[in-house]
Amino acid sequence: MSHHMTEVKDLHYVYPDGHKAVNGISFKIHHGESVGIIGANGAGKSTLLMLLMGVLFPCQGEVLVGEVLVTKKTLPGIRQRMGMVFQDPDDQLFMTTVYDDVAFGPRNYNLEEKEVEKRVLQALEMVGILHLKDRAPFKLSGGEKRAAAIASVLSLQPDILVMDEPTSALDPKSRRRLMKLLDSFEHTKIITSHDLDMVYELCDRSIVIKDGEIAADGPTSKILVDADLMDACGLEIPLALQNCPVCGRKK
Amino acid sequence: MKTSEAGLNTTFDMRLLDDMARKETVIHRVHPLVKLVTTVIYLTVVVSFGSYEIIGLLPLLFYPVLVITLAELPIRPILKRMLLAAPFVIGIGILNPVFDHQVFVVGGLTLSRGWITFFSIVLKCILTVSAALLLIASTGMDKLASALRMLKIPRLFVLQLLLTYRYISVLMEEVTRILRAYSMRAPQQKGIHPKVWGSLTGQLILRTFERAQRVYQAMCLRGFTGEYNTGAHERITVRDTVYLVVWGLFFALARIYNIPMLIGSLLTGVV
Ligand SMILES: Nc1ncnc2c1ncn2[C@@H]1O[C@H](COP(=O)(O)OP(=O)(O)OP(=O)(O)O)[C@@H](O)[C@H]1O
Ligand SMILES: [Mg+2]
Repeated sequence: MSHHMTEVKDLHYVYPDGHKAVNGISFKIHHGESVGIIGANGAGKSTLLMLLMGVLFPCQGEVLVGEVLVTKKTLPGIRQRMGMVFQDPDDQLFMTTVYDDVAFGPRNYNLEEKEVEKRVLQALEMVGILHLKDRAPFKLSGGEKRAAAIASVLSLQPDILVMDEPTSALDPKSRRRLMKLLDSFEHTKIITSHDLDMVYELCDRSIVIKDGEIAADGPTSKILVDADLMDACGLEIPLALQNCPVCGRKK
Repeated sequence: MKTSEAGLNTTFDMRLLDDMARKETVIHRVHPLVKLVTTVIYLTVVVSFGSYEIIGLLPLLFYPVLVITLAELPIRPILKRMLLAAPFVIGIGILNPVFDHQVFVVGGLTLSRGWITFFSIVLKCILTVSAALLLIASTGMDKLASALRMLKIPRLFVLQLLLTYRYISVLMEEVTRILRAYSMRAPQQKGIHPKVWGSLTGQLILRTFERAQRVYQAMCLRGFTGEYNTGAHERITVRDTVYLVVWGLFFALARIYNIPMLIGSLLTGVV
């Protein structure tokens, strides 16, 4: 289905203080693809996602979602189809209970309260924090907040899921659960992460960003094993592909 | 340092009010709009008393006391938040005893009119501030906002109010973080060195501003258009109407008749 295609053409973004964060990035992401966006700290990953979501507007170039140009006018329609999980969950949770926070999105689209409840419970169940539904978000642990933030986006049932470092601050079990969840999500996924093992498992395609430019774009299985490329971009080959530390043999 | 941080946390922790608002008591179940209207009537009545009135105001204490009891709200945190208003009240009222030296005699006691006005102001402030706090603590800001919308208050004002309210907690959390970061790296210091006051406040303003902006962006990403939907579409029931009418009558009585005086004269039989 082409109407879920996300396309970025020659994107440039300069922060108001003159810092050039994105310098001419172009790519196309088709429906159902799962794409990992990787790069060193400060490479411009979060900025790129903000541009995709229309939180920031490019200085030059354009973003098209489903062949619609992202502008202030088209934004409401586009946002209904895209959900973004922020890098810092504190930015995302502001209601007084986890339940209300997850219900915030659906309620904004004026769904029936029954439907809202169904979606909220379903989303909380999916990320495994149903038992936290009546707690105050600011009293949760870092990982629990993260899960709540993800649920707050899942309840919108987006066609395109955009996540900024979803596995940071998660314990191994929660990370595994989240990965399973993401794997079962059939729609388009765009994920930035420093968790290269996760990218290796979840994303068929990877885009490597270096200093606001694309350093490589291709199948994850090719990119993540390229030691020189990884090194040049401030990254490392995923642990799963490195020499086994115990027996010293290549896996 | 530690104490000031803890102090900030407890005094300004607006979120505690949100916590209280999630209880389920008789008062919490009253329709938000009804509570809002009742509070507005109450405030109007309190403020309408003359500046020498003290005795007549006393019966109105009944309202906050009853609400706090029925809503099962903890008294200390509410009192603490009321103290926030104390400097302003004393600032406004304290000049009265200085300038107004006229005296009058009540039952053998010689009183200065200045002091009477001062106490009247203090009492009025206690009543109004507590009524407002109780409204928030027993309703919650989001429901209150929806009540304001039902009263056809423009969307922009309601939104402004809500975001300001959220912003206070964001601001306070940033303050706590900055103070914590500072005290960890300056363990022997008692307070904050005056040299860094400027840069700390600058930091604070920038950080809270950025944070508030990101929170707002996250809200927009989830389809927020300015209409705050709390999901609860309760109807005003008979019970709500009774609540409003009973309090309305009581306030009117307290305003028209000086109830303590009336009771006093009834008891002494001098009607
Ligand atoms: N609000 C801002 N104002 C000015 N410059 C900014 C701002 N936010 C980010 N930058 C700069 O833009 C560059 C890209 O930042 P971005 O947040 O996109 O990095 P990132 O790839 O997400 O890094 P990380 O992996 O650490 O999250 C950085 O060099 C950063 O200093
Ligand atoms: Mg980032």
